[in-house]
Amino acid sequence: MNGALIRLQCKMELLRIVRNPYFIFWSLVMPIAFYFIFTRVVNTGSPDADAWQGHYLMSMTTFSVMGSAIMSLGIRLVQERTLGWAVFMRITPLPGSIYFFGKMFGQALLHLLSIIVIFTAGYLINGVQLEAWQWILSGLWIMIASAPFLALATLIGAMKRVETASGVSNGIYLVLALLGGMWMPLDIMPPFLQAIGRWTPSHHFTSGGWDIAAGNLPELRSVLILTGYLVLFMLLSTYVRKKQQAV
Amino acid sequence: MSKDNANSPAVVLKEVSKHFGSKKAVDQISFSIPQGSVTAILGPNGAGKTTAISMMLGLMDPKCGSVEVLGRSPKDLKVRRKIGAMLQEVSVMDQLKAREIINLIRGYYPHPMSMEEIMALTGLTPEDLNKMAVKMSGGQKRKLGFALALAGNPELLFFDEPTVGLDTSARRLFWKTVRSLAALGKTILFTTHYLQEADDIADRIILFKDGRVAADGSPAEIKNKLTTRSVSFVAEQDTQHITARLNQVPGVTGVHLEDGRMYISADNTDQVLAVIFREELPVRDVATDTGSLDEAFEQLTQVTEEAV
Repeated sequence: MNGALIRLQCKMELLRIVRNPYFIFWSLVMPIAFYFIFTRVVNTGSPDADAWQGHYLMSMTTFSVMGSAIMSLGIRLVQERTLGWAVFMRITPLPGSIYFFGKMFGQALLHLLSIIVIFTAGYLINGVQLEAWQWILSGLWIMIASAPFLALATLIGAMKRVETASGVSNGIYLVLALLGGMWMPLDIMPPFLQAIGRWTPSHHFTSGGWDIAAGNLPELRSVLILTGYLVLFMLLSTYVRKKQQAV
Repeated sequence: MSKDNANSPAVVLKEVSKHFGSKKAVDQISFSIPQGSVTAILGPNGAGKTTAISMMLGLMDPKCGSVEVLGRSPKDLKVRRKIGAMLQEVSVMDQLKAREIINLIRGYYPHPMSMEEIMALTGLTPEDLNKMAVKMSGGQKRKLGFALALAGNPELLFFDEPTVGLDTSARRLFWKTVRSLAALGKTILFTTHYLQEADDIADRIILFKDGRVAADGSPAEIKNKLTTRSVSFVAEQDTQHITARLNQVPGVTGVHLEDGRMYISADNTDQVLAVIFREELPVRDVATDTGSLDEAFEQLTQVTEEAV
């Protein structure tokens, strides 16, 4: 019975995601438009155009995936609670673990879709050429290293109102994108912002992609810092939920 | 269906209490609901009805006491496969059509009810089913909530204030359906603050007041208990002696003088009459009265609302 349950749950999650117009705009149209502007329209003065195009493709793909992780999961969790759906789920015989799995599966497919579409856009717009292992490894990196942002989304998902959650997640998303160097290189920012930026999860998420696009492996430091954030957000989210349930 | 719970009660509450801060929402409640019965939890707003239902559904844990549903914890998956509920807040999922949501929930149960049967019981039309759930009207959402409660073809159904916000005809259709579900042998437990609904539908009423069970019995018994009866007469002399004597009669709840007549309120007016005639008390023009049921219930409701 569990196999059928999982399939059903995943199918419905997917339907909901695909029908959400905000996803298409924020996760696909925005990053691709940015990519086009900063590699074709604006002259960034980068000495090696090929390297820059690969580099910025990673910036925009991580930007997109981080956005759908924080925004769509977090806000959807709040929505489900305010609509009373989360309570209703608790009286149905659906095990909580399958409910959670369905959510994560939907989210993973969403990320995979973003990666494929934006990588394809990079190829079509600039003819970005990477080795096969670089495409695959960077795709995998973006899938796996998005975990801290999903954990952050569950923290946002604990908020009471959709409006608050949507405002807060928008803010976090833009600040992380800017400070992480996803939009423009950290080097052109004031030193104190650079110093903060180098400790953000977004910076390490995207720089892992840059490393792979440059023919290297992500730094160990990035892996460690992202793992640290994952643990931190998971602990915080668990703590907040426990506190909310203790009525 | 396991043998061990075939004839055991559907729901058993033993000395259950639940507090929110210093407020006692439910205070030392005990009752048992037999399988196949239709029970109404009747009481004004704030009497603890929803809190009691939430504990029976495993959505809240009692502070003390125990709650058993179909012989197990309400959180047990085996229990959840056999129950259905319609909560006060209608719950829907965004980006899905009514039909998709119903089918999703049906998929959670081992022996779901067929879509045709759900449509027949709830009155949902094919057009309703093709609507996005969040865009449905209040009445349609209620029907959807009812459909979700039925989706798993449950043995035991909980309805929390099911007719709030329904118009008269929708209300009638809902209760007609509940009767047919009862005829199929399903156990039904619902809350309401309308005495009329409880009286019409239920074969048992549990009356809640201030988080406690104020009365528990058949609708006739409850109505009997709610109505105040009194004996009245004109006293010919020595009213103080008569007052003192009648106050000693068991079941007498009050004595007062109005327009020259004395009114004796009592649970059992026959006993009062017996004393009057046996002891030849100096009275004349004896009459008995039965107060209005609605008035009595309204009074109960108001007192509690002021207390909240």
